[in-house]
Amino acid sequence: MKKLDWLFMSSLFALIGIGIMLVYSATSNTDLIWYKTEWFKQIIHFAIGFLFAAIIVFLPAKFWKNIAYISYALAIIALLIVMDSGHVSKGAGRWLDIAGFRFQPSEFAKIAYLLASSLWLSKHKVSILEPKTLLVPGLMFIVPFLLVLKQPNLSTALVFTAMTLVHFYFAGFRLVDLFLFVSPVASIILSAVSALYWNLLIICIFFVSIKFKFPIWLIILVMVFDVGAGYVSQMAWNSMEDHQRSRILTFIDPVRDPKGDGYQVIQSQVAIGSGGLFGKGFGEGSQTNLAFLPEKHTDFIFSVLGEQFGFVGVIVVLILFFTLFLRGIMICRLHTDRYVNLVVAGACTILFFHTFVNIAMTVGFMPVTGLPLPFLSYGGSFVITCMILIGLLINIRLKGRDIYYG
Amino acid sequence: MIYHSQHPEEIRLETNLKTLAFTGACTIAFLILVFRLLQLQYFEYENNMKRAEENRIRKVNIKANRGYILDRNGVVLVRNRPSYQISLLYNNFKTKEDRDSVFNRLLRITNKDGNRLLDSAALAFTFERGRWQKFKLQRLIEDASIETVALFEERGEELPGIEILVESRRDYPFGSYGAHIFGYTGEISEQELELPENTNYVMGDRIGKKGLELSYENEFKGENGFRYVEVNATGREMGSVAGMPFFKPVSGNTIVTTIDWRLQEVAETAIPEGLKGAVVALNPQNGEIYALVSRPPLDPNIFSLEKKELHRAWASVALDTAKPLTNRAISGVYPPASVFKVITAAAGLENHVITEYTRYKTCLGGFHFGNRYAKCWRGGGHGTLNVIGALRESCDVFFYQAGLDIGNRRISEMGRRFSLGSALGVDIPGERSGLLIDSAAYEKWFEKRGWKWSQGEILNISIGQGALLVTPLQQTAMIGAMAWGNGLYKPHFLKEIRSPEGDLIKKFEPVKVSEGNLSERTREIVLKGLYEVVNAPSGTGRRAAVRGVKVGGKTGSAENPHGEKTHAWFAAVAPLDAPEIAVGVVLENAGGGGAMAAPIAQKILEAYFHPDTLQKAVE
Repeated sequence: MKKLDWLFMSSLFALIGIGIMLVYSATSNTDLIWYKTEWFKQIIHFAIGFLFAAIIVFLPAKFWKNIAYISYALAIIALLIVMDSGHVSKGAGRWLDIAGFRFQPSEFAKIAYLLASSLWLSKHKVSILEPKTLLVPGLMFIVPFLLVLKQPNLSTALVFTAMTLVHFYFAGFRLVDLFLFVSPVASIILSAVSALYWNLLIICIFFVSIKFKFPIWLIILVMVFDVGAGYVSQMAWNSMEDHQRSRILTFIDPVRDPKGDGYQVIQSQVAIGSGGLFGKGFGEGSQTNLAFLPEKHTDFIFSVLGEQFGFVGVIVVLILFFTLFLRGIMICRLHTDRYVNLVVAGACTILFFHTFVNIAMTVGFMPVTGLPLPFLSYGGSFVITCMILIGLLINIRLKGRDIYYG
Repeated sequence: MIYHSQHPEEIRLETNLKTLAFTGACTIAFLILVFRLLQLQYFEYENNMKRAEENRIRKVNIKANRGYILDRNGVVLVRNRPSYQISLLYNNFKTKEDRDSVFNRLLRITNKDGNRLLDSAALAFTFERGRWQKFKLQRLIEDASIETVALFEERGEELPGIEILVESRRDYPFGSYGAHIFGYTGEISEQELELPENTNYVMGDRIGKKGLELSYENEFKGENGFRYVEVNATGREMGSVAGMPFFKPVSGNTIVTTIDWRLQEVAETAIPEGLKGAVVALNPQNGEIYALVSRPPLDPNIFSLEKKELHRAWASVALDTAKPLTNRAISGVYPPASVFKVITAAAGLENHVITEYTRYKTCLGGFHFGNRYAKCWRGGGHGTLNVIGALRESCDVFFYQAGLDIGNRRISEMGRRFSLGSALGVDIPGERSGLLIDSAAYEKWFEKRGWKWSQGEILNISIGQGALLVTPLQQTAMIGAMAWGNGLYKPHFLKEIRSPEGDLIKKFEPVKVSEGNLSERTREIVLKGLYEVVNAPSGTGRRAAVRGVKVGGKTGSAENPHGEKTHAWFAAVAPLDAPEIAVGVVLENAGGGGAMAAPIAQKILEAYFHPDTLQKAVE
């Protein structure tokens, strides 16, 4: 028990407690019987989640290696199944029913991809100087990425992307390699925003690659990709019909959708802002109670926190999250096993990416993407995903050596 | 490239570096969020607070209109009416004084007779509840009258926190007529809310509770919508907000029923006041129900009443010993009485146990069986009759003797051919299956009472008494199928489902429930008997005759253990060669079928075949 990270555990429990409290406050405005309310169901979700976590804590690391590729294959199959039935009705395609349980294959795929990618990268180094080393991990990434993107679920697809980049970084990329690696994507976006920024980016890429003494063929390749991506995207953009453009813009930024996502973001900012330094108090707050936020107990739970507990409240929660991620990633220092470190880095990335994107969305920094906030947002599938990741982290932590701290 | 054996220390250094980078990225990201939060909650606090205060936009759910019920010719049988709810939104009280002044003003509101509309205890209770659920509307007056609404509207500005909502309730233009078919709607109960199929209902929604309202709830309910409205300082709605999401409610579908309202009205008025019983009229060719009446009547409007009155009205119907809530046409089970003789006759003829020339011992008003003396209904006796004559005059003695020859197995087999003893599957809930059993099942059924099957039991069965029970619907379907000869079709009310715009969504296709087949010869003889019941001078059902139409029928007078007057039965079908309509009538403790029930069937047949006469009579 000495090896259990009590700081990590107490942050976790504090977040879960706060989460259930907020779900209660956001949904108490109903007449439901207690065992049908969201807060009670959320407690059940966490109970199930803890069960999963407890099982995982006691499984050996070897087990994860053994099931990595199989679960990855199963996840792809599950994603294919929901893709096939997806056109029946909007949104329904993200769910799969198995033996009476409803789950989202994309949630399962996050964990399966984490395990599979970790296993591959623990045995094979990736290097930007040898493009063929990127082939297998690239394929492993692109298949679930495209399937999730097709659902359409851009935000979850981006979770895969974030994890892949961190994995590549931990498996051999340097930061500058990552920069060159993602530069074509940046080119596409910047060339659409402004020609000046895009030109600056191209110059920047050129000098960075000279400075870091990349081989000539790679510099040429990157430049061709970047310039090409920029021009092609500009050309494609110009040749598109208005409605096509607006469809793409809506895909990237749902605020544009007149169905009212923009309204949600504005209301969310007003809710958080009107909380002030100390908040309006638990259960108070007109923004929350008057139902301005349609998804206040799921995606906009952070707004409820901001309105009711103010700046002090959100800082406390941010510190708790920060502690959790810090202590989580530090688990890497206890191990020299590459596989284990990749799992830790990937798990922390998934949790961190959700947290950052969700909060950034509620404060109006990012489009409404529909990524829930770990431990705070209401929702069964996601709670279980988070608890599985936590279970993995605790498991790895317990098996680490007492060396640098603990 | 496969990893070369790196030194652990090397790996550790690399990992530490990367962990640090991750932590750095985390820190930067969180700092960005902290600065943004500081901006929103500290530097822009005033502005945001003001916006929150001024935020008078509210999401309002719009309930979908429930679908209508029409008769086969488009007559609207069930529609909706607006219903006003006067409610309290506690959050709109800015101060204690506000609240107290509204409380006192509410108490002072009186109707034109000078009576207070709200009593102080109930009002205090509602206010107390509002204090705990500030943002939830608390109902003060349910289903308020137009006059009451006007009283509150006039005082609108001095009553902040009081809101008037319009809901839609069911309206029955024809009063109690057809109430047992339509059923009623009511507020969804907690138990119903827990059912898995009711997940998209919320407390306060109205749901079908009985009859067609329950059977076709999914068609009627439509889809609720919502919109955002702006409210003023007193909480009054100022209109929709432009640019906000607005989901229009989708009205429920219309059910076009098979009911012929003309016939239904005739049937409703035909039953004498004060009698209990049921009438069914249907098309034997496809099972379409034209009319279905159960007495005593039930006023469905009471289920739309205000809660307080509803409880009173509900108590009065639920405790009524006459059981007006029971739909006797499908849930009432009676001995089939002499109408069952057509089954006995058909069983005998079909199995060649009797022919149309078979004659039994002369009826002298009774029959000796062992030490038992079974009486015929006519004390003076019928003399010697063949099967047609026995049907015509409903001679018990003939059927006692025939029954003994035929045996119970054949009789119950014939009954099953016409779906007796099993529910027909009519599309309103509450149908009972009646009772039709063979000798083995009989002993099991009556095991508790220690009754054993005896040959003497056949005497009862063969004249439709004893261990036999049917619903009026079964009786009607049976006589209809016998004349139609092409099977017994599931009786139903659903003709078509139409969208609110009137487009056809679904059409009901007839479903055959049982074969109901007889050999041509058997059918001919039985139908001849039915014909003579109505049309021969000595027939028992002469009062059902309709000019110019070949009506066939069978009377019945069911004895009941309570020793009161018999239940009057009449089952008719017409025209006999190509039957279009079958009618069944039962009147509890009303006397003889020929005298009491046949005239009612006659009125319905008359209205069906000679609609003009009816028109004239009305004029």
